Amino acid sequence: MRAAYSIAKREVFSYFVSPIAYVVTLVWLLWCGLQYYLMAGLYAGSPNLSAGGSPLTAFFGGSVLFFIPLLVFAPVLTMRLLAEERHTGTLEPLLTAPVTRLSVVLGKYAAAMVFWISLWIPTVLYVWLTSQFGSVDAGTVFASYLGVFGIGLYYMAIGLAMSALAKNQIVAALLTFMVLSGLFAIGLLSFIEAFAAHRDLIDYISLWGHMQAFSKGIVDSRFVVFDISVAGLFVYLAFRALDGRRWQ
Amino acid sequence: MIEVQHLTKRYGDRTAVSDLSFSVARGEVVGFLGPNGAGKSTTLRMLTGFLEPSEGEVHIAGIDARKQPLQVKKSIGYMPEAVPLYGEMRVVEYLRYRAELKGVPRKDIARNVDKALELASVADVKTRIIGQLSKGYRQRVGIADALVSDPPLLILDEPTAGLDPNQIRQVRDLIRGLSSEKTVLLSTHILPEVEAICGRVIILDRGRLVSSGRPEELRSAGEGVRVLQLEARADGERLKAALATLSILRSTSVEPLGAAGIVRARLEVDAASLDSAAESVFRAVANAGIDLRELRREDASLEDVFARLTTHENKSHDDEQAPAPKESAP
Repeated sequence: MRAAYSIAKREVFSYFVSPIAYVVTLVWLLWCGLQYYLMAGLYAGSPNLSAGGSPLTAFFGGSVLFFIPLLVFAPVLTMRLLAEERHTGTLEPLLTAPVTRLSVVLGKYAAAMVFWISLWIPTVLYVWLTSQFGSVDAGTVFASYLGVFGIGLYYMAIGLAMSALAKNQIVAALLTFMVLSGLFAIGLLSFIEAFAAHRDLIDYISLWGHMQAFSKGIVDSRFVVFDISVAGLFVYLAFRALDGRRWQ
Repeated sequence: MIEVQHLTKRYGDRTAVSDLSFSVARGEVVGFLGPNGAGKSTTLRMLTGFLEPSEGEVHIAGIDARKQPLQVKKSIGYMPEAVPLYGEMRVVEYLRYRAELKGVPRKDIARNVDKALELASVADVKTRIIGQLSKGYRQRVGIADALVSDPPLLILDEPTAGLDPNQIRQVRDLIRGLSSEKTVLLSTHILPEVEAICGRVIILDRGRLVSSGRPEELRSAGEGVRVLQLEARADGERLKAALATLSILRSTSVEPLGAAGIVRARLEVDAASLDSAAESVFRAVANAGIDLRELRREDASLEDVFARLTTHENKSHDDEQAPAPKESAP
């Protein structure tokens, strides 16, 4: 696993020396700032709402403003992982070094999780701000971040698998966006009466329901299991995609 | 060091490498020679574990590459064609990373990196960003990478491609220098390269082994006719007449060379009588009272051999009519 660590370290290094990291972070922070501003304004203007929660509850998954950017940012974070190595040919020295293909995939996945977490660190500021003007329940905040981490496991694994399959970054990003949007859209079906019969299943897949629970401080183990199993499935798929190339 | 048996690689219905068997002994420097698309890179990629063979076996240092791929990869320093590198890293950072990946013990990393920088003569650019280096430096960073774990076997895919003549000489000197302690397998389509550094050549064409042997052996192999070049200050007709007395000459062509009455003759002789041919020619010319300016044996160049082995006339059933692979004694 020393190799996986080296690979992750290099990947994180390359991400943070590339301009893309700063563009992503800048746009992300602007977006989050706007969203937090809107939520805080909404809660400040309506005492009734404030009784039922805090702007943080709304910030973490309370509106579509939370989910739409994730569908865009996740592919941007993961698109380079393997597709870029294949495109520039650096995959060849990487795979002919004495490392297993599994450690390559795990190293890349770990790096993607570091990217993901780096997006969320600045949002701790909002928690602090909220705590200055109202009460913040530490348990709820912890659950919210746990939910965010779970989505990260799930989204980064899908992005990794698409990056393993695709020939270049653009295709990887588009594929990831399509898969994530598709899964997200399935979750939305829960709001449609015609699908009421399958609501249990849909709610299980739904990210919306997922974050609703976590942002209220409820750690629903079903969602944790779901995230981990989807992540495991797609990491395995990435490994197979990489391994299968030997035969082509 | 390398033992390859019946190696075959098929892509769909196209066969890139077909039933290739060869071996490379410890300490040898072997050149893989062949036109573009002959299957050189595909073969090297199978040796280094980047591609899986469709059929056949590879043993490196006695270890089965299929059963213990990691062990095999540990003993190989590989430089892929076109030397892909991470453009955003500094040379020394890249080499440290590669040393880590290759399992160099942590305490040895700094020393190994310094040695590789030194050997590949890239120490002067070690803090530069790889993306800003010239092609020649990038190529040598690739060689440094191959050396960084101090493996017993180096596999270099076109190590001098795209370099200028000075850089080519440097890289060749480097490889020659390494050959005392390492086994080297390199691919190239440049013939002088093979003559300059390889102890043995394996010629591939369309995925098959066409010939293998020392460069000198290949050159003399099968060449029935040899050539003598002669230059003299004389009248062309007189020279012709003098040479006509020799029965060993199969053909003679004489042409004037510039002004001042100098002529040059190209004489073809049977390889069998080459040994004494020069003396006979000298005597015949001297007896006719002509002063020789130059008389030399022309070695058949590897180019000729290579061209003869790897050019194909447009036969309709190329494969069936291809001559059986020729192999001279190793």
